[in-house]
Amino acid sequence: MIGGAQGTGVDTSANIFGNAIARAGYYIYGNREYYSNIKGRHSYFNLTISDEKARSISHKVDILASFDAETVFQHYQDVQKVIIYNKGVLNVEKDRIQSIEPETAERIPFKTVKDVIDYLESKGVTTIGIDYDEILKKVAEEMKLPLSVIDRARNTIAISASYDLLGLRKDYLYEALKRTFKQETFVKLNLSAADKVKLSPIFNLKELPQKKRRVQIDGNTAVAIGKIYAGIGFQSYYPITPASDESTFIEAHQEVLYVDPVTGDKRKRTIVVVQAEDELAAVNMASGAALTGVRAATATSGPGFSLMTEGIGWAGMNEVPIVISYYMRGGPSTGQPTRTSQADLLFAMHVSHGEFPRIVIASGDHVEALKDAIWAFNLAEKYQTPVIHLVEKALANAYSIVDLDELGGDIEIERSTIGDDNERFKFTDSGISPRLLLGESTVYYTGDEHNTFGHISEDPVNRVKMYEKRMRKLETADKEIPEEKRYNVYGDLDSKYAIVTWGSPKGAVLDAVEELDQKFAVIQLRMFNPFPKSVKKLLEDKDLIIDIEGNYEAQAAILLKQYGVEVTNYILKWNGRPMGRDEVRDGILSAIKGEKRVVLNAGN
Amino acid sequence: MQEHKPVFVDWCPGCGNFGILRAEEMAIRELGIDPKKVIVVSGIGCSGKIPHFIQLPIGGVHTLHGRSIAYATGIKLSNPSLEVIVNIGDGDGLGIGMGHFVHAGRRNIDMTVIVHDNGVYGLTKGQASPTLHRGLKTKSLPRPNINDAVNPISVALSAGYTFVARGYAYDVMHLKDLIVKAIKHKGLAFIDVLQPCPTYNDINTKEWYDKRIYKLDNDPTWDPKVKSEADQQTKFERAMLKALEWGDKIPIGVFYENELVPTFEERIMQNIPNYLDYYPAKQEIEKNGESTTKIDELIKAKRV
Repeated sequence: MIGGAQGTGVDTSANIFGNAIARAGYYIYGNREYYSNIKGRHSYFNLTISDEKARSISHKVDILASFDAETVFQHYQDVQKVIIYNKGVLNVEKDRIQSIEPETAERIPFKTVKDVIDYLESKGVTTIGIDYDEILKKVAEEMKLPLSVIDRARNTIAISASYDLLGLRKDYLYEALKRTFKQETFVKLNLSAADKVKLSPIFNLKELPQKKRRVQIDGNTAVAIGKIYAGIGFQSYYPITPASDESTFIEAHQEVLYVDPVTGDKRKRTIVVVQAEDELAAVNMASGAALTGVRAATATSGPGFSLMTEGIGWAGMNEVPIVISYYMRGGPSTGQPTRTSQADLLFAMHVSHGEFPRIVIASGDHVEALKDAIWAFNLAEKYQTPVIHLVEKALANAYSIVDLDELGGDIEIERSTIGDDNERFKFTDSGISPRLLLGESTVYYTGDEHNTFGHISEDPVNRVKMYEKRMRKLETADKEIPEEKRYNVYGDLDSKYAIVTWGSPKGAVLDAVEELDQKFAVIQLRMFNPFPKSVKKLLEDKDLIIDIEGNYEAQAAILLKQYGVEVTNYILKWNGRPMGRDEVRDGILSAIKGEKRVVLNAGN
Repeated sequence: MQEHKPVFVDWCPGCGNFGILRAEEMAIRELGIDPKKVIVVSGIGCSGKIPHFIQLPIGGVHTLHGRSIAYATGIKLSNPSLEVIVNIGDGDGLGIGMGHFVHAGRRNIDMTVIVHDNGVYGLTKGQASPTLHRGLKTKSLPRPNINDAVNPISVALSAGYTFVARGYAYDVMHLKDLIVKAIKHKGLAFIDVLQPCPTYNDINTKEWYDKRIYKLDNDPTWDPKVKSEADQQTKFERAMLKALEWGDKIPIGVFYENELVPTFEERIMQNIPNYLDYYPAKQEIEKNGESTTKIDELIKAKRV
């Protein structure tokens, strides 16, 4: 774990560190925590290094790297083996640190950084003091640059020290530094800072031969790349944490390479990206775009999604295939803008007034996030209705190292049938009518109830038929989408003990279960509407069904109950921090012992 | 192909909307555009029904209250070959949808926005709309209006619309000419159409307007078109001043016209020169289920 004030490059250095470890052949799972603040508040990056695929973080960490005083106060309880601290802040008093929230400060029973370090030493933690200022001074002299410029290399010193503890060849770190900084001066400066730290290894990691090509991917980028591959032509958005990075990525790559299917020529195609004036505009622009036959989407978070409800209803009424990537963060209202949450599941399921099919899917890791973005478009087009793709902040701002071949596989692009008459809403057995595109057919749309031509109709008989036609699409989807695509099964299905989870807790759950002797059947729900009813069968005759999710109400369990599954125990978390495998493991143990409702609260 | 009966036009007898409907149809015919390529987008209210009533085989998109401009934006930018005409109501477009109305000006997309301006919310029984002047008490108001009116012309000018005009629903030929000009204009065009509501607005009636309206064209010195950069400031200032004229004399005609401002489409082309050749609606994104988009470079950048 590395911590420091926001805006001082904690994120960049954590990425460099991760990249170096990945170069040495290890897998990584990293999570970024930060305040809704530009500069000055405490942020930290927690990462897991593993020789097998890393899927989660642990809130208890082996190494804590710090260069400021607040990190020491905030995380002293998290560190188990080694703390790297700044000798220059030893005398800093907790009460002088304005950025610590009073509620947090009250819980910390130490006055100075030195008190904390002494305490950790007494607990058997190795404490390594580094004179950051001295090193920076040397770098400044060497580079002939003012200290103010050099100051950002503070992070590099911290990661260089942590890196040394691992015992890996330093070349990997140097390569990662070179790759991150574009400007020659910054490369030199950071290399110089990194080189001035020399610690003896404690962990003795071996280099691992890399057999497969790997990529480092975060949740926002995974969804963006998925959308681009899926053929997105239009994305509109309004800035919101933690969704915007997805749109920014698409905008940065709005000219993508494409092979003309007729001529085979390689050329560039345009993805139009519009930063809208608000989320109402964002979702409605996407609907407009979709009416021309383009794959169109928007990306938002809770507050934005609340504003989109009206437009999602229109899309439902007019059978418009739009995709909404919904990055959940803590609510209600502005809530915790930069913290994770799974509290909007039922809201997504029931968004907007009236009845219409809303397809809702949820990704559990970065590979799923990418593939689900493609799946979402396929579903939207096949069933001509809004598809809500749930991703949480805990995935958006976390990254994984994944094998490149995991990203390939069964990714087909399925499009809707296009008709050639003038009946956009023709009655069919499946409820699905061939689409008519603006500009190619005479076609009408209205948010009012309408006849098959798309003209307003309040006729009661037509109302009943058209209403049924729309709703029937969900039944068709339920029949057509294989149940096994709607959930994943892990572990031992025959075990009497089962866990049901969804979204980002997946990784922590799988890792926690692996650490336990008890075998579990783990079901990860991936689609909530249409709901996979066969889950009931899988969970029959279980002695224990533990529901693990990131909200207060156990919203997935409410749905499970609706489909005949009675959860026996709950492990829930809503403090805004992602689930760690350590707390989930402890939670499962408590549940086995009979605790009905375990509430997790790890993370700073 | 199923034949559908023409839709019954259910506006009140004498409604100004009839004039706007006829003028719009005539303009589309006069321009000779393939009706399929004409997309009429509207919001909610009496004006919102216009796409269903147009007696030409167009594409019609009757959207949400205040949101039509957003839909139109998505349509036009995905398929810039379409001729997009947005019909908004004064409550619809300048009340609940004012945000979109203003922001559209910042983009200058090549489309046309026509406001049906009658001072009242007709379909909900005549409440005051944002264009009803303070102190007026139309038929169904319990007390005189205590809100000031927005000035659609000056708002459009300051928002950045590059063609700003006012028409009158009962002068159909003049309005038709304005619509033709607006559609031909390269950039975002706006026409404020004064339109009596015979049912709920018993103040701004046909008789009231007929006495006051005069045509800007009748003044031989009136030239609203910006011809050079140097011209911009003066023409804009004149239009703004003219926009304030209201009361005994109400001008109709073109207030401002400026094709020197790059359209949003042109701004996209500054980044992607072939945008208009391969705009999104033209792209074949798959072949036999396989994506035609190559993401190798994107993935390569993420390799460790």
